[in-house]
Amino acid sequence: MKSKKVLSVLVTTALAVSVLTGCGGGRGTGESAPAANTVETAGTEKTDSEPANDSSASDSSEGGEVVGVALPWLGTQNWAEAEVMFKEQLEAAGYEAIIQAADQKVPQQQQQIESMIENGAKVIVVGPVDGSQLGSVLEKAKDAGVYVIGYDRLLENTTGVDGVVQFGSIQTGELQAQALLQGLEELKGEAPYNIELFGGGPADPNAPNFFTGAMSVLQPLIDDGTLVVVSGQTDFTQCATADWDNSKAQSRMDAILAGNYSDIEIDGVLSPNDGIARAIITSCENAGQPIPVVSGLDAENESVEWVWSGRQYSTIAKPTNALVAETVSIIDSLLGGNGMPETDVTVSNGVIDVPIYELPPVVVTKDNAKEVFADDPDRMALLKD
Amino acid sequence: MKYVKKVLGEDLRQYTMVVALVALIIIFNIASGGKMVTSSNFQNLISGNAYVLVLALGMLMVIVIGQIDLSVGSVAGFASMVMAITARQFNLPWYVAILVALAIGVIAGAWQGFFLSRLGIPGFITTLGGMMIFRGGVIWVSNSISVPVPSELKWFGAGYLPEWGPAFTGMNNSTLLLGIIAIVVYIIIQLKKFTHSGDVTGIKEEFWPVAVRIGLVTAVIGFMTWIFGSGRPGTSFPIPGLILVMLIILYHLITERTSFGRHVYAVGGNKLAAELSGVNVKRTYFLTMLNMSILAAVAGILFVGRSTAAGPADGTSWEMDAIASVFIGGAAVSGGVGTVIATMVGGLVMAVLNNGLMLMGVGADKTQVIKGFVLLAAVAFDVYNKKNRR
Repeated sequence: MKSKKVLSVLVTTALAVSVLTGCGGGRGTGESAPAANTVETAGTEKTDSEPANDSSASDSSEGGEVVGVALPWLGTQNWAEAEVMFKEQLEAAGYEAIIQAADQKVPQQQQQIESMIENGAKVIVVGPVDGSQLGSVLEKAKDAGVYVIGYDRLLENTTGVDGVVQFGSIQTGELQAQALLQGLEELKGEAPYNIELFGGGPADPNAPNFFTGAMSVLQPLIDDGTLVVVSGQTDFTQCATADWDNSKAQSRMDAILAGNYSDIEIDGVLSPNDGIARAIITSCENAGQPIPVVSGLDAENESVEWVWSGRQYSTIAKPTNALVAETVSIIDSLLGGNGMPETDVTVSNGVIDVPIYELPPVVVTKDNAKEVFADDPDRMALLKD
Repeated sequence: MKYVKKVLGEDLRQYTMVVALVALIIIFNIASGGKMVTSSNFQNLISGNAYVLVLALGMLMVIVIGQIDLSVGSVAGFASMVMAITARQFNLPWYVAILVALAIGVIAGAWQGFFLSRLGIPGFITTLGGMMIFRGGVIWVSNSISVPVPSELKWFGAGYLPEWGPAFTGMNNSTLLLGIIAIVVYIIIQLKKFTHSGDVTGIKEEFWPVAVRIGLVTAVIGFMTWIFGSGRPGTSFPIPGLILVMLIILYHLITERTSFGRHVYAVGGNKLAAELSGVNVKRTYFLTMLNMSILAAVAGILFVGRSTAAGPADGTSWEMDAIASVFIGGAAVSGGVGTVIATMVGGLVMAVLNNGLMLMGVGADKTQVIKGFVLLAAVAFDVYNKKNRR
């Protein structure tokens, strides 16, 4: 016990001394990156070993700059891939990468982003747990002169975002519809075709966009009679699938088939993702219908197998590799002093209009599956026989 | 050693966690290359953890009466979600929304207090039910979508004190003023205590320990004032921190100086004895649970202010952080033991650990493991000490 009491006094004094002598932090110089007062411990070969008196904050543009990547979690294939790819690509580009995942917890992610600011990150890439709950933290980053790039999801409700990299959601819908048409022509003979439409969960901002994109392709053909929506349900609200719940989609398909297809065959179904696509196919099989042409999204392993075996006509892959590469090229541009690249697309996040960098998703059918997944050993393994 | 005892009081064991806290800060500051002890990081530390510490204040009293409240996270999430919806969808002013959130806290607390005190259902079960009810409620009213809150509410979770007065101080003058007030108040209290120290016992305390005590506390408060006040212009001691400090003072006084506070410890220590000596046990149970849920609502408000939106998952597992803070602060599982200040130190140990590991780039997975070990070690140390006391 005695030694502890002495220790307590010693430690208090040590703290006071270390801090009073160490930090000569003044305000008014606009300093945002904390001046390091001890020797840098963790640094790559490119980091300055001599802690500079960093008064001019964010515009020292030497190599080895710190880039933070805040990911929501590592629990699904695409996020786990993103972690590895960001690390490889950022380090290959000569940056010091801090990559942290937040275990799906908003407070954890807020604190991780703050710690990245403290660590002197010049750019922070944020794949948000919840895109609208990082407002004040991202504004703090902005005040500290840090660039913030949203990854895969929009950062809403904040002024502290410089751009968002994601796969185009309208375009995804267009591609789904085009794949559906292609499949109908290939497999179901001459027009007209009997089709049904499904949308995603109304709570997800992407879902209406997928549907809008798809309808921009399908509506003219519905109008000229090439496509017949037998049930007559063509509004998003009628076609939506609450919570992207596969079982709800399946019951809706059951009801449509029972009510409208007792004496005709269904040729195609627009499906917003793979889970719903499989539910639709199962429903048709149970109803004794031939398998219709069905679109999908996400290239889930099970659907990749189904596409390969011909049960599901198509799915859409959103390769993580391409999204990471695009993000890193924006980081290069920012840290090379060239600012954000030009883009035509902006989306309001509720406070400001955010530049969006959209990547084209890739349609996968049985014909091109081997090419699309050439770099993806996990999915290649599914393409057997 | 007896000199140290004269300054710090007879029971030095209560300082173990303080030592651990200071040691952690120093270790992390060295390991992170000086990134720990900076104005901005201390501000982050406070505004990022104020909500947990507020919860821990209420949780301390719940644990002292020998109960546990598992519903606090869900109540916080529900109150703040309803607040956000009130402000956003019904277009009511932000202060009405805050009152609505607090009212939800009162109702939730009264509900749980009723089941515990009137029906005698154990707190663990009552609040397990509450946890499900209010979590379901959050998802229900929000349809699983986050709801942004008006910018005024941001002040409660991420705001700073105003800048004014002369620039030569080199600090935020609001923070400076607060620091000076705190020091002056402390000196007055100590001097008053000193002048009255012989009144009952007849043994007058020596003056030098009082002077040393004043010197130490002045140094600590002065340091805090400087570190919080000298950040980037526009920043200061954070508003959520100020709210927290006011609550700490309030609850310190409630637990140490009021008859209700004494009842809380009496009921937790020995329920039967307390009942026989005329303590209204049911009323104490009820008020403690009521208070907990009100503080949960406050925590929810602070968090949503910082997040700028209320989300459907807000509050998930916050109760665990609050409970851990209380036990690291030395409260007894059996009830009756624990103080407000020690609980805050316990909460800060967790917060500093979290923050320091993040600064060093340690992942959430390993952080979780380390926090678990620290909780076990702290409680084991406490139990060991108590056994060896006799």
